[in-house]
Amino acid sequence: MRRLHQISVNGETVEVVSETRDTLLDLLRDRLGLTGTKEGCGNGNCGACTVLLDGEPVNSCLILAVELTDQAVVTIEGLAKPPALHPLQQAIIDWGGTQCGFCTPGVVMSASVLLGRKGHLSEEEIRRALAGNLCRCTGYDKIVKAVASVLAAVPGEGS
Amino acid sequence: MSSAAGALNVVGKRVPRVDAKERVTGHAIYPADFSLPSMLHGRIKRSPHAHARLIRVDVSKALALKGVRAAVTGEDFLDLPIDAKAQVGEGGADMWYIARMNMAKDKVLWIGHPVAAVAADDPHIAEAALALIEVEYEVLTPVMTLDEAMRPDAPVLHDHCFTKGIEPRPQRPSNIGARTLLARGDVQQGFAEADVVVERRVTIDTVHQGYIEPNAALAQVEPSGLTRVWASTQGAFTLEIQLAVILGKPQSLLKVIPLEIGGGFGGKIYAHIEPAAVKLAEKAGRPVKIVLSREEVMLGTGPSPAAQIEVKVGAKRDGRLTAIQGRFLFDAGAFPGVGTTLQMQACANLYQCPHLKLEGFDVCTNKPRAEAYRGPGGTQTAFAVEQAMDELAERLNLDPLEFRDRNASVTGSPMVVGTPFPTIGLTTILDRVREHPCWRDPLPAGRFPRGRGLALGYWRGTSMTSACHIALTGDGRVMATIGAVDIAGTRTSMAQVVAEEFGIDLADVYVQTGDTKSVGFTQLSAGSRVTRTMAAAVHEACQDAIGQLKKRAAEQLQCSPEEIAYAEREFRSMRAGGASISLQSLARATMLDGAIVGRGVSTRLPLGVEIGAHVCDVEVDPHTGQVTVLRYTAFQDVGRAVNPPSVEGQIQGSVAQGLGWALTEYFDYAADGWLRNASLLDYRIPTALDLPAIDCVIIETPVPDVPYGLRGVGEVPIVPVGAAIANAIARATGRRQSAMPMTPERVLRSLRGSEFGKI
Repeated sequence: MRRLHQISVNGETVEVVSETRDTLLDLLRDRLGLTGTKEGCGNGNCGACTVLLDGEPVNSCLILAVELTDQAVVTIEGLAKPPALHPLQQAIIDWGGTQCGFCTPGVVMSASVLLGRKGHLSEEEIRRALAGNLCRCTGYDKIVKAVASVLAAVPGEGS
Repeated sequence: MSSAAGALNVVGKRVPRVDAKERVTGHAIYPADFSLPSMLHGRIKRSPHAHARLIRVDVSKALALKGVRAAVTGEDFLDLPIDAKAQVGEGGADMWYIARMNMAKDKVLWIGHPVAAVAADDPHIAEAALALIEVEYEVLTPVMTLDEAMRPDAPVLHDHCFTKGIEPRPQRPSNIGARTLLARGDVQQGFAEADVVVERRVTIDTVHQGYIEPNAALAQVEPSGLTRVWASTQGAFTLEIQLAVILGKPQSLLKVIPLEIGGGFGGKIYAHIEPAAVKLAEKAGRPVKIVLSREEVMLGTGPSPAAQIEVKVGAKRDGRLTAIQGRFLFDAGAFPGVGTTLQMQACANLYQCPHLKLEGFDVCTNKPRAEAYRGPGGTQTAFAVEQAMDELAERLNLDPLEFRDRNASVTGSPMVVGTPFPTIGLTTILDRVREHPCWRDPLPAGRFPRGRGLALGYWRGTSMTSACHIALTGDGRVMATIGAVDIAGTRTSMAQVVAEEFGIDLADVYVQTGDTKSVGFTQLSAGSRVTRTMAAAVHEACQDAIGQLKKRAAEQLQCSPEEIAYAEREFRSMRAGGASISLQSLARATMLDGAIVGRGVSTRLPLGVEIGAHVCDVEVDPHTGQVTVLRYTAFQDVGRAVNPPSVEGQIQGSVAQGLGWALTEYFDYAADGWLRNASLLDYRIPTALDLPAIDCVIIETPVPDVPYGLRGVGEVPIVPVGAAIANAIARATGRRQSAMPMTPERVLRSLRGSEFGKI
């Protein structure tokens, strides 16, 4: 069954047709062409499909498109206005926190909500916030340092 | 040539990846992100039986479903001759097996073996069509363990598999593909001379590379027959060769276009979906994209082999080794061909020992075909031998570092295969460990027993061949096209080499990965070879281009090319009062005078063997068997770090994978061949929370006669991880570990004194 949706994606209201079985991830990737959000497992275990739903990170593969009402979706494409980069994106570049890059959009989205948190976050808390995003290339070290550098508002040592 | 010792301006500096912005913004294109007009979606039907005869595959009902455009089965594929070789990697591959792995004929050999594929207007229709394919099987007894497979009365997977390496040739087929023997001296004599002898038997479970990007490919067949494949592969050329053989197509009608690859680690070398995608595209007359689900990745691709290893090592009271003996069984999965030789060499090469006997077996079982995973097989052999060495040191009351130092291989000492070692820095590494706080500082007491482990790792790596070409843009920038897929920041490192050789800024260099019709043949991005061999090719291409430019400059400056010196964008006549001409002017002139194209090929570069030493501290909860890694430090000789953050990233990522293997990752097979944990929930890859910070200590002992003295980097840092953890657990608890991963259950059982490792 098909259905016409009106949803807010990256600050814009878009009309999109979806099928009842489409997930938010399908809708973003296949219907709207926003392929920056990746599918690594399709069942909420890897975090590659993380987007923000009303400001909270969610696995877009676990949300049915028909569930969406008036929530605002932000994807990796909408985190900063091109050509500007979000400070986290810049930090991951500076610290060398991206390798194959497949998990990177999801990692950036999960980490982005930490910027709004009050008070100092320990390394453990940063790791906890990223524990839903699997990365197989980096060992997380440079990602964690990059995120910490943004939270502490100190420039990276990368280059 | 910039010598290894010479001052360098760009090579060796910390630079951000040239493609990093695309990655952090979601703009990097992987095959699943790529679409073509009128594209169809392919799905693969897989066997639910681990071992069965394929009686009938009927796709007629699937084809009748609305929206289904094509279906293929084993009958659509050629019956290749046995032993059809293709030059994939150093040894090459038997394409009879690779073809059958991609689509079953006659027999299915593991749960997940493809038996048919369909293409439909959307993935849901394709999925529905799979259920309509009728397959009739005659179920056979599966062979799931190494012990079962090697029994004389075991069901045999392949009727034409006669064990290689045994004289005379066996009369009957078996599941043993090959037996390899590496021997020196007389081990019996060696053990007779020993004051202390240690024996260990270990098992290592199958693990998956765990790349986060599921395998994906898009194929398009033009009416002319020209076939384009957009792939996530570690080797565009080697994939093209496989397709040519499997599909019976000339390479002039094949073009593999490598897109970004979301991790490979050895698992994206062999074709798993591309032949089916091409056949479907050919039949449907429309492009076909296949994207595997995570479950299919776990069931259907090639993991790292399980192994069962028995080792025996002996030493004199002064710590000198007298003998190393080992019997190594590797689980090849459904098709023979798993390597044993390099794997056995890896665990013994760092020790000088007069008597050696290492015997390896390549054994088939009804599991997916084992493929490469980062230093393939080295982690397994190190888990056995490095534990035995640690125990030997303990029994001799020697510090484990001093014990290794006493037996350490140095430049020129004989390798396992007898040839002398090229320049290596093992003793330098050991010296660095000795003085480092991670080794020197006492281990602080904790709530539970703690221990510190040391293990060494060796990996040979390979060189093979790499090609590139370099052209100048009209505005004086330099553009390099390389034949290797970028799996580890290759474009960035090559941009550094170009910038170094031309004396220009990194921003004035563009490096691209070529497709198989735009650049010369280049072997796999694997075997720790890409940066070092491609750097040599790029170096040569730069010198070639600069040489051509010198000729042009000489004409302008009225001198001979030999009298031209090039530095920092200026070609200068060395004659008294000589004039100069800029790189930019010569580049501009190419638009009238003709292009400058520099050519670089590196072939059989001297090996850049990799050696590392890892030190870790663990805490073991005696109530649960849970192991917590408190601190991890990896020492590695890399020859020279072209881009240090990339080198650290390779080491940290390797260690992270090694820790997953050491503690939580394994394929959990039922007796009938079902993989019980084919998801990333049940197959536990480490998260950010599971890992400590991983410290890297980079040591640079250059390789002579290699541009910049580069060694391999990316494989060896996984090799010692399991052993380092096991040795730390032993130091904490007094118990040796006989199975990897060292899950809480297994560790707890070892602590309680029951038979080690058996769950």
